[in-house]
Parts: sequence; structure tokens; C-alpha cells
Amino acid sequence: MITPGSQYLDEQINTVKENGFLRYRTGELPTWCPGCGYFGITDAILKACLELNLKNEEICAISGIGCAGRYPVFMNVYGFHTLHGRSIPVASGVKLAREDLTVFAVAGDGDALGIGGGHLPHIARKNIDITLFLFDNSIYGLTKGQSSATTLFGQATSSHPGGNPDTPLNPIKLALAYGASFVARGFAGDPEGLKHLAKEAITHKGFSFLHITTPCVTFDKFNFTWKNLKENHSYIDQSIHNVTDMESAMRIAEHERFKLGVFYKDSNRLSYHENLRNIASKKA
Amino acid sequence: MSDIDIVVEICGSAGEGTISAGEILSRFMSEEGYDIMSFDSYPAEIRGFGKCVAHSRISRTRVLTPGKYSDVLIALNDSHSISQLPVLKEQGVLIYDNKPPKYHDEDKSIAGWLEPGMIPYGIPLNELAIKAAGNARGRNMVALGAFAALFGISQDAFIQSVKRRYGKKKQVVIDNNVDSFVEGFNWTRDNVRKIDFHLFDSSPSDVKRDQLIINGNEAVARGALAAGLHLYAGYPITPATKIMEILSKELPKKGGVFLQTEDEISSIGHVMGAGFAGKRAMTGTSGPGFCLMSEFTGLSVMAEVPAVIVNSQRGGPSTGLPTKHEQSDLNIALFGGSGDSPRVVIAPTSVDQCYQAAVLALYIAEKYQTLVILLIDFFLSNSIKNLDPPPPPDPRYLNANIAPGKDELKDYKRYQITENGISPRTIPGTPGGMFFSTGLEHDERGKPVYDTKTHTLMTEKRFRKHREILKEIPEPRITGWEGQGDIGVVSWGSSAGAAEEAVILACEKGLKVGSFSSMVLSPFPANALVRFCDRFKTILVPEMNYSGQFANMIAPIVTRPVMRLNMVTGLPMASEDILKKIKEIK
Amino acid sequence: MPKNDHYVIIGNGPAGNLAADTLRDSDPDARITIVSNESMTYYYRHKLTEFIKGKAREEDLTVRPYSVYKDKNIRLRLGQQVDKIDPNKKIIYLKHMETVSYTKLIIATGASPRALPSVSNFSKCLNVLSTYSDALAQIPMINKNKTFLVLGGDIISFKFIRMLKDMGKEVTTLLYSEAFWPFSLEADMAQQVKKSLSDKGVTVISDDHIKSVKKSGEAFDIVTEKGLNQSFDSVYSFLGMIPNIRFILGSGIDTDRGILVDDHLKTNFDDVYAAGDCAQIYNPDMKSYWLSIGWNNAKIQGTLAAQNLLGAHKVINPAPQKILEVEGLKINTSWWESF
Repeated sequence: MITPGSQYLDEQINTVKENGFLRYRTGELPTWCPGCGYFGITDAILKACLELNLKNEEICAISGIGCAGRYPVFMNVYGFHTLHGRSIPVASGVKLAREDLTVFAVAGDGDALGIGGGHLPHIARKNIDITLFLFDNSIYGLTKGQSSATTLFGQATSSHPGGNPDTPLNPIKLALAYGASFVARGFAGDPEGLKHLAKEAITHKGFSFLHITTPCVTFDKFNFTWKNLKENHSYIDQSIHNVTDMESAMRIAEHERFKLGVFYKDSNRLSYHENLRNIASKKA
Repeated sequence: MSDIDIVVEICGSAGEGTISAGEILSRFMSEEGYDIMSFDSYPAEIRGFGKCVAHSRISRTRVLTPGKYSDVLIALNDSHSISQLPVLKEQGVLIYDNKPPKYHDEDKSIAGWLEPGMIPYGIPLNELAIKAAGNARGRNMVALGAFAALFGISQDAFIQSVKRRYGKKKQVVIDNNVDSFVEGFNWTRDNVRKIDFHLFDSSPSDVKRDQLIINGNEAVARGALAAGLHLYAGYPITPATKIMEILSKELPKKGGVFLQTEDEISSIGHVMGAGFAGKRAMTGTSGPGFCLMSEFTGLSVMAEVPAVIVNSQRGGPSTGLPTKHEQSDLNIALFGGSGDSPRVVIAPTSVDQCYQAAVLALYIAEKYQTLVILLIDFFLSNSIKNLDPPPPPDPRYLNANIAPGKDELKDYKRYQITENGISPRTIPGTPGGMFFSTGLEHDERGKPVYDTKTHTLMTEKRFRKHREILKEIPEPRITGWEGQGDIGVVSWGSSAGAAEEAVILACEKGLKVGSFSSMVLSPFPANALVRFCDRFKTILVPEMNYSGQFANMIAPIVTRPVMRLNMVTGLPMASEDILKKIKEIK
Repeated sequence: MPKNDHYVIIGNGPAGNLAADTLRDSDPDARITIVSNESMTYYYRHKLTEFIKGKAREEDLTVRPYSVYKDKNIRLRLGQQVDKIDPNKKIIYLKHMETVSYTKLIIATGASPRALPSVSNFSKCLNVLSTYSDALAQIPMINKNKTFLVLGGDIISFKFIRMLKDMGKEVTTLLYSEAFWPFSLEADMAQQVKKSLSDKGVTVISDDHIKSVKKSGEAFDIVTEKGLNQSFDSVYSFLGMIPNIRFILGSGIDTDRGILVDDHLKTNFDDVYAAGDCAQIYNPDMKSYWLSIGWNNAKIQGTLAAQNLLGAHKVINPAPQKILEVEGLKINTSWWESF
């Protein structure tokens, strides 16, 4: 018996299949909660890969631990689910060993800003050509709702039921300060916009920092909810902001927490590999 | 032919050419066909004007240890040398500057501390250096000239060696060095009456020009390069830093990548990344850094990603004694990290073996898709040895990854359970070979699952690799008494040289003593050990740690009483100490 | 209040050692340093001839081993020569370029073989035997050579000649009129000595002088004023002893033949004493200085110098019946009696 609902589903599946981006998707079922923002992110990244026509076998997706860490399970590429906070060095190692590969580092806010926060400045200053997808739901989801480095001050969490006493980090400001050559923010609720940012990040030569805001529908019912994020997010007016203007980028990052789009981009800066080659040729 | 076997120490402060004088001497002696083992030490972390000692044992026969006491002390700096006097033998020779530019304060002159029996040769080092080159910089070469004149070394041969060494430098540098040497040589020949008995062959028969003179760190680096190392990630830490410095220079020449990371976690992370990407990669560290890497060691075993970590042990827990020797990281190498985590531990016993061990480590890591810990120590890292240039590794060591066949790729199981534990591995870029790799327990396809059966089967599979590795590790080295005897000395790492030397000395005294050492400690050749131990009444395990980590490891394997010699002196194991213990047990 | 006295004794013979022991006994905490230019520790010099013959071993020579100094916490600087002394700054300068400060100093450097002006032209050809290292260096040569000429006249020369005869060597001795040899003043005793030497098979020449010594191959050609012309394998000279005071000259410490001290063994500096063979001691009764030689004298003087240095006011007994006068100097003869 075919219900109207399932007919809709079939139609949707067909559309998706025709889109072609499922070739980047494994058959594994997601472990994420229904309504999770990570579905939107996945959608955007898969589509970006398709539109860039990347070969599956030439992509490596390296993740840390947490809800975001599971991301490579669902991608039909060479995936490596590493240690908590360590996707950046491992991804960097992959890229340094194999310049021909396209390398994604996937990290949650706990990964990239908490336990693995020490790696971020160095991948940025070295400008190693990988893309960091920072899935920021501002909570430790997999361990059931503890405060993270981007949890709002005062927010009640399971580790701080009386309110988070810590001031949150500003990821865009950090990335800018660390000297990342590509800094952008996308929103899981706008997969289409996120796809464009992802494409730009992946094709950027050097380290790309893509901060992606997303709700945790299970452990944050009050602050970074779909509703709040949707209402507050808006794209930077690119007619006013020049992406090569670091001061302007810093200003926006400081004062407008929910701005989306490319904050900063330095296309002229050489990647780590290029620098190594230049130094080697100078010696020779 | 002279059967000379002497230990020479040159002591001065940094900037006086102490270490380079030691190097020149070692190089020359090596070229003259002597076996040498040298050891430079500079106690201060920051060299500044700190004390440097270039210690070198020079012998006609194979040198196994650097020697605990010195026969000759060349004092380039009086106050530093005074603290080196206790290791000068009772009949030792002192070469010192008897005409420094000004008077030493009381008790600051080495000549003021001589004991009866010691033989001082006062040479106006400073004065002669100024005469030769206009400044005092060449004091080290004047001292070497005096040494050469006193001990029957050919002036010409030495000069040729110096010229070869400084070949690429400016002519004035070469001239000043040679002139200083000649000045010291001639003055000593004309003014000093020799009263000691050490004498080298002035024209040795087996001259060796092409020998390598390298320390353990360099041997590790060279071995790794020969074995096709592609990426080295490192963080500075004594005593492993030199490996990084060498590879920083050498790797790019071979198309490889060196990077200095923000911490040791990142270093091993990069190694794992490169290993995952199908390239041979390695990091080097010491105890504190190795602790930071512990979590990744488990991931290497669990996700079956090749990784090689060199741990050059230093003293103590925590920051401990950064510039002192110890063998106390055996436990963490064997057992560090969480869970049942079988890893390969290779502990070379000599500088020569450091080279072979690096080749073996990279080979095993790649072939068996696992973690290999190359456990060296402060002494090996800094111990300088002359050796014949090793032949390039057997090609089978160079390309060891077992990739899946085309049929296997149709239904590819990255973690397929196999008899030998090795699952065929694709590397990124291989079409159709994509897989998911994780530190979570997983099924044959890499999918995270936690059921009893899978975990049991997968744990067994990971351990089965060790059975396989055991088949292709080098045979243990067994020397000394060959029949049924009294004491079997079982040693590991750099202490094995001292153990072997002690056993040779004991056998010369008619004792029935044998020596056993294995370069590979995990998987451990237990059967060979048991066969060895069955020949002796008592087993002695000498090692430079307090708790007897290796003794604890082998005690359950052998059926003989295990005696221990544990020391934490911060110095390399000496054959004298082992010999003393052997006599006590006897 | 902690004491920071540093007693320095130059010389490691009987006077120096007794002084050190005396100081240590009464002052357990003081720093005491002995400086000696000999590399051998305190030894019996009169046994050197036995040592050369092979009848005594090195340990038989030593009065006490090196370890005793460590036990007594006496810093023994062996093989170290004093270059000069500055008694105003209270510093001694060692030849190997080290300065040592003292609060009190005892000089007990003894005496060494004298080279007479008349032999200075060929002194390079003459051997002397005074120290352990002389003996050590000369043993192979003495064993090898057959004919010896000994320019003698002092007591050591007779011991040495006896040793050579015991070893079966051919010995000629030239009794030197200028030798530091008190008995030569008494002709009958000289005659007696000459006879006793001749009886032992020694060729004795007297009333003659060396004119020249020339090296000829391994041997030495000797010509005397009275026309003797002969070749010897080795030539030795024993022409008396002279106090070892060269390093003191110019320091401001008064010297003559030896270091001039009062009958308390104190020099013209309050903190500097001298004892033993190197000292030239004032005798208020005789209104003159006397030189003392010999082991026992040295021991007595070393002890006394140390006691006075520590504050006692003891007067040395000049033992007048044993004082002889030579060349205007009074000499205590107890030395050979102890042999």
C-alpha cells in the first residue's frame, strides 16, 4: 500500500539520486538526532564536492570525536575518525604526505576550540592547504549537554546547571588573529549558502577556516535554537566589506556575532607546500 | 701492531673547540683503522660557557662501551677539568696549559689537583696557539698536536686528516688549524720527556677513509632515510632533537617533508595522517613527549595505521634529568596507553643497530599497519661510533604495504579478519578502495560496533600480528660461554654493550658466563631466551633503571633465579659494574 | 666564630710533615696545605740508594701513603713548584699559574745538590741524585753503565759509591777540595775515608780538580788539572747541599745562604716561618747564624715552627757540640749520625 507520505518520500529520493551527490554518501544511517543541524551541513558539503567534481578516492575526511566526529562515517571517501581534538594534525599529516589529495578536517567546537585548541593557531600560521569544517553547536552533545568553549555565558548546561561561568570564545576572531588565510562562517540552516562557502573554502589555496553554526536540538532548547539562529543570522554585505580588509573583518567578527559569509581571504599567500619548495630551491 | 685501548677525554668550556677537537681526533683515529666510541656531554641545557667533555675510546679491537675511566685528560679549561679528574685513572695522563695568560685563583688550576701517580704534561697551549695563529682560538689544535707527539701519531697523517675535514672552509681556517697543531706537536716533541706507556702505531696497516662517524640519532635518521621515510614531524626535546635537525636538512633533498609541530601530540598526529595517506612517517621524542603521544599510540594499534615513534630515553619521571642517561621508559613503551594494545618495541643496542632498527621499524609499521616504538636512550643518541657505510636496505623492506587485489576491492573489507592479522590496505587515491577508519572498535568494514564477538575477534586479530612479526625479527645476540654455565647476563638497549664486554672479561678470567640481548623487545623472542637461560644457574639483568623493568618482564618467562643490577646514576652502564656484580654472585 | 686560617707549608719532607701534623693536632678545622715540587709523597731520601739497587720498593720508601693526607684533611699538592711568594699580600704563586693565599706560611723546602762555580761550565754533563724522580730516571742508565766518576766529598757521595760498588761497578772518585764536607778539614779523617774507599776497590783521587768534561758518544772524557785523561760512562757530582730558596729571592724575606730566621724560626715576616735544611737560624749566644741539616733536626724544627706559629714561644736548641764551621758557616752535623 502506498501512502501519500511515502509517495512524497520516493519522489524526493529520486530527485536526490538525480542530483548525483549521493555518490559521496555511504549507506550508513546517521547517528544524529532528528532535526540536527549536521544534516544540513552534510548536505552542503556533499553538494559542494559534487559541484567541484571531486573524485571520491581523492578526498580524505578526517574527524575528531563527538557528534561531528561521526561525519566521515557517512561519506564515501577515505575517512578517518581520529582522537578528540586531533583532526587538525592528522588532516595536516595527510595533506603534507599527499599534496594531491583534498583534505577535510572536521571538528566540533569541543574538538577545535577546547581539547584541540592548541592546534588551530599552527595550522593557520603554517597555511597548510586543508579545509576545517568547524561544526559549532556550542555544546558537548555526545556526552549529553556539557558547556563547551562557545557556550553562552550564563547558559544552563548539564555541567553548569546554575549557568555557565565562562565567557565564550569568538571563533572567527581567533581564526583571524591566528592568521588563517580564509575565514568564513556558514549556517546549517542555509545549506545552499553554506555550499557556496564550502566550495570557496575547499578551492582556497592554503588553510580554510569555515565556522558553521548549528543548533543542538536535544541539549540546547533556549539559546542557539533553529528559531533564534534563523532570526539572527544574516550575510555580510559584500558591497561594504572587502574580504582582503583584515580590520574590517575583525570589526564585524567583534560586533556582529551572527554575520555569515566570507570574512577574510588572502589568495596571494603561499601555502606551506609552496613555501617548503621555495626554501628548498633557494638552498639548491 | 699496538693493541692500544685507551680512553681520551677533552674537557673545556663551550666555545673552546672542545667538541670539535674530540671529533677531529675520533675521525682521525677512525681513518687510521681504530675502532672508536665517543660521547660528548655538556651538562647545561643551554651551552653558554658551560662545561663540555668530548670522551673517546680508541681501540685496536671492537669497542663495546665508551669506558668508565679515562687514560688521558686534555684540559682546555682548568676549572671544568677539575671535576673531570675523578674519572682519570690512577696512572692517567693529564695534558694541561701550564702558561695561561694569567694566574688561576686558588684551587682553580687543574695542575693543583693532581694525585700521585698521575702523569702531567704541561704544554703552553695558549702561548703556542697565539704564536701559530695570532690568537688563542687554536688551543684545541695545539693540545691535539701535543697529544699526537706524545702518543706516536704521525704528524703528516694527522694534518692530512685535518685538511680533509676542513676541506670546504676558507684557507686561513685550514692553515690556522694546521699551524696550531704543528706548533703543539713540535714543542712537545722538543720539550717534553714522555714517561707514560701509551703508544699508537705511527703507520697503521688498515687505513679506512670512508667510514661514517655518527651518533645514534644520526644513525636513526640515516636508517629512516634509507628506508624511504617521507614525513618527519617533531618537537624539540633533549636528547632526540638532533634526529629532527638532521632530517630537516636531509628529508627535503629526497622530496620528503619535515615539519616542526606545536607539540608532540601534533607530531604523532601528523605521522598518523601521513601513515593513513600511505607514506612512511616517523616522529622522535623523549619521555615527556612520549607521554603526550600515548593516546595516539592506541589509535595506531586500533585503527591499524602505521606509525613509528623514536623515544630517546632520558632520566627520571616527569621532566626528570633531560641530559642524563637512563633506561626507564621500557614500561611505558611496552604497556603505555589504554586497553590491550599490542605494539612493537625495538631497542637497538648500538649505534650500528640504530640504523638497522630504523629500517626495521618503518618496514614493520607499514607491513603490519601498527605502532612501532624505537626505544633508544640518551647514551645511544649521543654516542658516536665509526662504522662502515651500511649497504642499502633489502628492497623487500622498502615497499611493504599489502594492498587488496582487484577481486577483494569488489567487496572491500578494510579490517578483514585474517590468519596473520594483516588486512589488505588501500591507500587514499585508490579508486573503489574507500573505507572508514576509526579508533572505536569496529567490524571488518570499519563500522563502529561494540558487540562481544567483534571485539574479541578483532583483539585476537591485532595480537596475531605479533606472532607473525616474531618470525622475521633478527636473532638475539648470544655471546660468551657456550656450554652449561653459571651466570647468564640478559640485557637490553645500550646496556647490552657493557654486558657483552663484562662477559668477555669474565670469560677471560675463566668464569662461565654468557650474554643474551635482543634488539626487538616486543614481540619478545621468549623461546630463545628460555633456551639461553636453561644453560645457566643464575640470570643477571643489568639495566639503568631503579625498578628493574626488563627484569620484571623476563622473570615470569625464565625458570632460573633472576638477579638484578639496577642503577640510576645518569651515566651509561659500565662493564666494570656488571663484572663486579658477576663476581659477587659467583 | 669560624676560623678561616689557611696554613700553607712549602715542602713535604720531615720538617713540613711534622709541622702539618702539629698544626692539625691543635687546630682540627683549619685549612692546611702542603705544596711539594716532588711527585712522590713523603719518603725516606736515604733509602734511594737501596731503591736503585732494587733492594727497596716504592712503598718501602714512603713514610706514609697519600691516603693519610686525605684522612687528616691536609691538602697535599704534589709535583707543584712555587714560583714566587708575595709575603705582603700573603700569596704564593705556583709555577703552573695558580695563586694560593695563606694566613700563615712555613717554608720547609730543604736543600738540593750544589753546583760549584768551578764545574758550572760542564754542569750539563754531571748527574746528581737527590730526589725520587732522579732515581727513577737514572735507574736504567746506572744499570747499563760500567764506569763511574764521582766528584765527591759529602756524605751522600760515600753512600752512592758504596751502592755502585755493591752493584759491581768500576768507580773512581775525585775527592773535591771545595766540597761541602766538614771532615775534609780534618786531614786524618779524610785519610781514613780515603783508605776505607780504596779498600772497597774504589780508585780515589785527591788534591786535583776537573779541567774539562766532554761528551764523546755515550761516554764522557775527563781531563783534570794534574793531567788525568780518562773516559767514564757516567759522571756524578756530590758537592754538598744548598738550601732551596731560589723562589724566595726578591720577595722581601731575608735570606743569606738559607732563609734567615730567629731562634723561634720566624722570618722577618710575622706570618712566615722556616724550618729544616732551608733555614739559617740565629743563635743569640753565638751572635751568628747556623745552618742545620739532617732528618731529625728537620723534624724537631718543623714541630717547633708550627708550635710557634700557633702562638708558643719556643726557642730552638742549637745543639752546639754538633755545630761545625765551614766556609764561615756553622753546621749541625746530626744529619749523618742518623744514617
